[in-house]
Amino acid sequence: MSEEKKDHKKEDFEPKIVGFLCNWCSYAGADLAGTSRIQYPPNVRIIRVMCSGSVDSMYILRALLEGADGVFVGGCHPGDCHYIDGNYKARRRMVLLENILGTLGLEKERVWLRWISASEGQKFADTMKEMTEAVRKLGPSPIAKHWNL
Amino acid sequence: MTHKVIKVKDNDVVGSTNDFLRNLLSSGKIQALLVPQNTPSKKVAFPVLISDPKKFHADIVAPILPASTATIVSKMTKVQPPSKPIGVVMRSCQIRALIELVKLNQASLTNIVIIGVDCPGTFPINTYTEFPEKKTPTQFLLEAWTKKSDEAEKYFRSACRVCKDPIPTNADIILGFYGADIEKEIIVEAHSEVGKNILKELPLEDEEEWKSREKAVKELREEKAKKRAVFLKEKEGLKGIDKVSEFFDKCVNCHNCRQACPICYCKECLFDSSVFDAEAYKFLRRAEIKGLFKMPNDALLFQLGRMNHMILSCVECGLCEQACPNNIPLMDVFIPAAENAQKEFDYQPGKDIKEKIPMIVYREDEFLEVGEK
Repeated sequence: MSEEKKDHKKEDFEPKIVGFLCNWCSYAGADLAGTSRIQYPPNVRIIRVMCSGSVDSMYILRALLEGADGVFVGGCHPGDCHYIDGNYKARRRMVLLENILGTLGLEKERVWLRWISASEGQKFADTMKEMTEAVRKLGPSPIAKHWNL
Repeated sequence: MTHKVIKVKDNDVVGSTNDFLRNLLSSGKIQALLVPQNTPSKKVAFPVLISDPKKFHADIVAPILPASTATIVSKMTKVQPPSKPIGVVMRSCQIRALIELVKLNQASLTNIVIIGVDCPGTFPINTYTEFPEKKTPTQFLLEAWTKKSDEAEKYFRSACRVCKDPIPTNADIILGFYGADIEKEIIVEAHSEVGKNILKELPLEDEEEWKSREKAVKELREEKAKKRAVFLKEKEGLKGIDKVSEFFDKCVNCHNCRQACPICYCKECLFDSSVFDAEAYKFLRRAEIKGLFKMPNDALLFQLGRMNHMILSCVECGLCEQACPNNIPLMDVFIPAAENAQKEFDYQPGKDIKEKIPMIVYREDEFLEVGEK
């Protein structure tokens, strides 16, 4: 297979993205995108959580090790957390997880944290488009073919 | 800081430190001592809690760390700390771990007098019990030390070879070998008011400042930093899922590493919880994702999950590696991960008891690029 054809194949692949969205902002944002009939790629599988601060690094690792091509975490904008400071804690946790993934060379680019409010349906759709394309560029997760984990 | 000296009699380092500790115990300043002592078989030294000076035959040099002393202190103080002082003889890594446990509300320093001992390094348990040389591990180590030779190095646990600081910090009293001529003397320093008060009443000779120690400690730390840098460089290649999964391939998910870890204190670890029990159809569905999956399942998830939960407090004592039944060289990944993660948060576990653990605090104006495009 020529290089060109291989690249073409890569572009064809549909990434599987697991999205953890906080109940109060990002999930409502996703809902608004839906009710406003804004189109976005169907690659994301949304899981509603009460707060981005409740997303333990375990959840993200589990998704990655099971073969997800990307993991998205959505929370309220800094200062707007329903539980006052959950998103600040989520941010620290994400910094730590990215650091560890970096040390082990496990493609931290596949894990995204973004702040999306309940009124930002358009931003949610745009972010999903952006992430789907970015992950498509990265190609299928190399973890997906490892069954011995 | 108070400076004193223990005069070594007949070249017997262990005996002389024992005289000092026995005096300390007899003085009534402390009611008991937690100190490593060889078991009757003489095959292994364990921390023992001694209250009777007559039964005191400790060996604070014994190059072995069978279990986390920090965890032992946590068990003794968590429910209710002692009403009168207890002296605990600890190595630097274990003091660091104890400080972290105090921050995590798992131990108390009330009436705990930390007696830190300079640590030359420790051997794996089985090397200690089946020591191949004709001397006891302690004798061998002390001789190597006086000769300034590194022949003990090959027996050290890998964590000890690249120890980030063998000199105790946050101790009340320090028993120092570095900078002393151990055939003649052992350095005693008080680093707190409690320590000063205790030393005041013991029959010890005063010493002016230990200039030789300052220099020796500085040199030791520089040497250790160099070794560490070489180690970190060597392990840089351990990257990517192919290598990481190969590295943990022997993991049987027994959780011994977590059991031995001084930092992993959770009564109910998530990885032992029913989260990992599921209906058969869920296992089958998971098998369908990749066509097959390895059992016992979720070994790598356990390793990476545990790393995420404890790495910022990791004191690099290497007890996880010592506990591994399949000899996975865990320090090869845990030291680089600890180095990078702790640098990211500008945090040094065990350094300052007032400093909060990074995952429970935050600043509004930090890591602004994370979460934004």
